[in-house]
Amino acid sequence: MKSNTPLLEVKDLDVRFAVRGGDLTALRGISFSLDKGERLGLVGESGAGKSVAAFSILNLIARPGYIAGGQILFDGRDLAAMSERELRKIRGNRIAMIFQDPMMTLNPVLSIGTQMVEAIKAHRRISTKAAREIALSKLRKVQIPSPEKRLDQYPHELSGGMRQRVIIAIALLLDPEIIVADEPTTALDVTIQAEIMALLLDLCEQENVALMLITHDLGVVSQVTQRMLVMYSGRIIEQGPTREVINDAQHPYTQGLINALPQMGEPGARLFQIPGSMPSLKNVPSGCPFHPRCSFATDQCRQTMPEYVRSGNVDVACYEVSNLIEQEKNMQEAGS
Amino acid sequence: MTTATLSRWNRFRESFLWYSFRRDKVAIVSFLVLILMVLAAVFAPLFAPTDPYDLAQIDIMNSELPPVGMQGADSAFPLGTDAQGRDMLSTILYGTRVSLLIGFGAVVLQAALGILFGLLAGYLGGRVDSILMRIADVQLSFSTLMVAIIVGAVFKASFGNLMFGEIAIYMLIFIIGIAEWPQIARTVRASVLAEKKKEYVDAAKVMGFRTNRIMFRHILPNTLSPIFVIATVQIANAIISEAALSFLGLGMPETQPSLGSLIKSGFDYIQSGSWWITLIPGLVLVVLVLVINLLGDWLRDVMNPRLYKG
Repeated sequence: MKSNTPLLEVKDLDVRFAVRGGDLTALRGISFSLDKGERLGLVGESGAGKSVAAFSILNLIARPGYIAGGQILFDGRDLAAMSERELRKIRGNRIAMIFQDPMMTLNPVLSIGTQMVEAIKAHRRISTKAAREIALSKLRKVQIPSPEKRLDQYPHELSGGMRQRVIIAIALLLDPEIIVADEPTTALDVTIQAEIMALLLDLCEQENVALMLITHDLGVVSQVTQRMLVMYSGRIIEQGPTREVINDAQHPYTQGLINALPQMGEPGARLFQIPGSMPSLKNVPSGCPFHPRCSFATDQCRQTMPEYVRSGNVDVACYEVSNLIEQEKNMQEAGS
Repeated sequence: MTTATLSRWNRFRESFLWYSFRRDKVAIVSFLVLILMVLAAVFAPLFAPTDPYDLAQIDIMNSELPPVGMQGADSAFPLGTDAQGRDMLSTILYGTRVSLLIGFGAVVLQAALGILFGLLAGYLGGRVDSILMRIADVQLSFSTLMVAIIVGAVFKASFGNLMFGEIAIYMLIFIIGIAEWPQIARTVRASVLAEKKKEYVDAAKVMGFRTNRIMFRHILPNTLSPIFVIATVQIANAIISEAALSFLGLGMPETQPSLGSLIKSGFDYIQSGSWWITLIPGLVLVVLVLVINLLGDWLRDVMNPRLYKG
């Protein structure tokens, strides 16, 4: 395979929810790509559509949601158009997913070993014994203490951190090419968060697995990912290399997110907040959905959604940014 | 004993179920009484002085003898005899066996249907759910006894009395099982709806499991505790239903008496002073149903305090 075809390419994805009184658009024109072994961050406030984006990649949007348009090309094939049968072969096998709350993702009545063996057997025809061997080797990989013992234990007998390790081991069971991690550390306490994140990063590097990390923690994104997307109200408003986005955020929303991070060294300083809150899907503002909260908003912003413009290696959808770029260009022309 | 079963036993001994059982005197007594009755019924041929199904052992001259301690009693028949000269003790033991068999059988059938339809309705939702639950509603709007009487009468008319005697047990299991499945189906559906929203179900989907597998292997075990509670109460209900049907003459024939048909056969003689033919099986029935219900109550409190009261 040529190295310039991405492993996963999402093109113009629209996801809607059919509710009484018409459809609500949860994702609008989402486009991004993920290369083999690449780590991509997806950030935004609650309600921005991050989790919907994660689920739609596996074509697992639950009714009344549905994929209204666009393509999800994985290895050249469109997941949005695939039959349930074909999708099952990919889910868990080639694309794995890790959820937010390790307390809830493991089935409380089945032992860890049973759950792992089942996951393997759903995709491969091997004996239970061989499957247990694989399970054990993956548990070793996630550095769980006394892995043999864990196989016969039930989820309630493990701590939160251990459970998340088990979940990562389950995600790795079938050597997937992509792991989608939906806020994998939010439910854990801070020291364990760092451990789990470091583990996940290590494993992805070792096994050359692409990681799509969904989080609202910009600190984690900046440490772990190579590229990032910023979502707002179902749209991607800024995407590019993580370092550039974090160091020189273009979109006023991204700037707001970064400024809202608590800084060390200024005791007593008030935290910055972006005024207002994420609009609900039922009344998304016209034009740029961020305009009611944006201090740069103009009439143009209120009427039409800006197109993407390129600033450095970053794509941004903002009139303010495109106007600045325009001005710069004019000044350069005037100067020459 | 292998290590796996040994560790399972240890797990049970550390469980909340065992803990609360040890602490509940009513539960312990009920459980002991139930076990005693079940053992006595299952091993009836070993305990019973006579075989009530064997006509050669019955002597009509022994009919209507009172229980021991009353005038005219025969020590060979500790609980007296019925109008045909059968030993009451033996008949009750055999009768309890029939009643329990019908109770368990009917609940197994109910549970099989209820679990299947409840899971399908709850998990698949939409049209499947509407159709199955409307069938359940229609079914529940007829009383169990009414359905049973109609079906029983049809069976009796079409097979004749002799043939009916042979299939009566299966017919009763069938009727009571069919009539009561919606109870279990509704409970299962309700808990499936709650389980379906949990993340482990999403995780199972993400892992690429088939729908059947998710339903039966992942969701079903998580809904077992309410099923357990309801099933216990339903055994008692099924035994009562059977007794009622037999009392009305649509249940077990007198040659193969259940507790219900024993009560009925004695009822004809209660005016002539032979109260024991009705009273003793009646007491056995009351005790049996009572202990099952008490155990059901205890289970409900332990496993899920929010469940419906049967």
